[in-house]
Amino acid sequence: MIHEYLISILTFISIYSIIVLSLNVVIGFTGLINLGHIVFVGIGAYASAILALNGVPWYISIFAAGILASVFGAAIAAITSRLKGDYLAMVTLGLVFIAVAVSRNWISLTRGALGLPGIPDIIKNNFHYMIFTMAISALSVFLFYRLTNSETGKIFQAIRDNEVAASVLGKNTYFYKIISMAASTFFAGIAGSLLAHHLNFVDPTIFELDFIVTMLVMLIAGGLASITGSVVGVFILYALSESIRFIVVNPSIVGAFREMVFAVVLILILIFRPRGMFGKVDI
Amino acid sequence: MPSILPQLIINGLIAGSIYALAASGFSLVYYVVKFMNFAQGAIITIAAYLFFLFGSVLGINYALSALLSIIISILAILSMNLIVYENLRKRKATNVVTMISSLALLIFSSALVLAIFGSSTKTISLYNKTFDFGIFTVTLIQLIIICSSVFLFLLLWVVLKKTRLGKAMRSLSDNKEAAQVIGINPEKIYTYAFIIAGILGSISGILIGLEQNLYPRMGVPIIIKGFISSVVGGINSVYGSIVGGLFIGLVEILGIWFLPSGYRDVISFSILLLFLLFKPNGILGVKKRDDS
Repeated sequence: MIHEYLISILTFISIYSIIVLSLNVVIGFTGLINLGHIVFVGIGAYASAILALNGVPWYISIFAAGILASVFGAAIAAITSRLKGDYLAMVTLGLVFIAVAVSRNWISLTRGALGLPGIPDIIKNNFHYMIFTMAISALSVFLFYRLTNSETGKIFQAIRDNEVAASVLGKNTYFYKIISMAASTFFAGIAGSLLAHHLNFVDPTIFELDFIVTMLVMLIAGGLASITGSVVGVFILYALSESIRFIVVNPSIVGAFREMVFAVVLILILIFRPRGMFGKVDI
Repeated sequence: MPSILPQLIINGLIAGSIYALAASGFSLVYYVVKFMNFAQGAIITIAAYLFFLFGSVLGINYALSALLSIIISILAILSMNLIVYENLRKRKATNVVTMISSLALLIFSSALVLAIFGSSTKTISLYNKTFDFGIFTVTLIQLIIICSSVFLFLLLWVVLKKTRLGKAMRSLSDNKEAAQVIGINPEKIYTYAFIIAGILGSISGILIGLEQNLYPRMGVPIIIKGFISSVVGGINSVYGSIVGGLFIGLVEILGIWFLPSGYRDVISFSILLLFLLFKPNGILGVKKRDDS
């Protein structure tokens, strides 16, 4: 029997891997700087929480979470297709603040700042739930591997390297950007759903800004456009984050200290090793 | 309800002036150094907390503590430039990368403030007077905030248009290579730009600290509004940030006349999105040289 603590860590690592991998498809492979990925995780979490609390079975709520996040993702990609670089980054960052405002104020749906407690477990046994999230995580690794090595994946990378050239070669870059965002946000929604069913609770703090830094540092440390990199990045940085719990004595500043460490790691990587561990392109 | 309209406009002007104050330094750095410096929000937080520390905790004279917080904030922004941004410029990082590093600096500073001062909100209690004009009321600090946003507008205008430094900044902003050819050292001008941004940021931090509560993450929402203001006003124009700030403040306050007040952020972000899609050069509409 594996220790409960280890089970919890491995469950979170599996869920984070799905989030970071899906972010890598958009940022690493397609070159769209999406800083609002957490919004789609949150949409998935809220969607499956609301469905599950109304008695919808989990296999439908997970799937619906993915579809809803994906619809939003495709819509955002369609609206922002003309933007690039830092303009795209700030619009997607802006989504985070819209999401906070909506989740705080649409009380009849989200119960505002109180959050939604009592989301049912998918599987009562934590060990079996860990296996379940690992399986979904492995499935997403496989699907993203297939996607990025397919012709579509090659077109994503062409858009990243030179969008004008890709469209000159007759590729509909508008369409492929939407596909990239839709695929990525589908898995973000699924990850959000897994998170909600695991924590049994979701509230507006899921859209915290430091979570964006956490995801970016995991993504960039692992390396852009590398699937191995994302998984390894999540493993190493999650282990680092957990080890801080044992180093810092004062429990009230563990969170703050963790944020500081992640921010410093992110800055150091950006300055000294922008490719991360397995990256194929510089950020 | 026409009777509350004057008060709403005044409230909008106060909110707008706060956004304009936050936006001015952000916009100056974007104009000269060409990246979105979200760490400007960190400077605002640091200055507000330092003013609280010197003035309210240590009991130093308020004028002196304001001066001390401004000086330390300038040192903070200069060390950010020296340690992070200069190294990123050396490796020719894109402006998105520099922006992400500034976000990391913002998170770092809020966490540092949280670790030192704790998560509880703080207030700076200073002598304040309320003026009643019959149709609206306004406090002394709110008047100072409105006046200083106008004053900073004039100050920026004078610096950019009437001094040699301003000329160098404008030429650097227009064309970096040409500016270097005629003997302008970009790194030196960048340092000056960061010093001015530090002054603007710390003055706004102190004023915001007097008007609102202090909490470790206060810089995040403020700089987000500052950045919306500078985009809506026109990101390629420093004065645009002031215009945009007042515009956003007024629209938000008039908007929550119709909507629940929690939707303030939604209003400003919808405006941001509309401007980015249909008028990306902002209200003042200064065209940007496409160097991407």
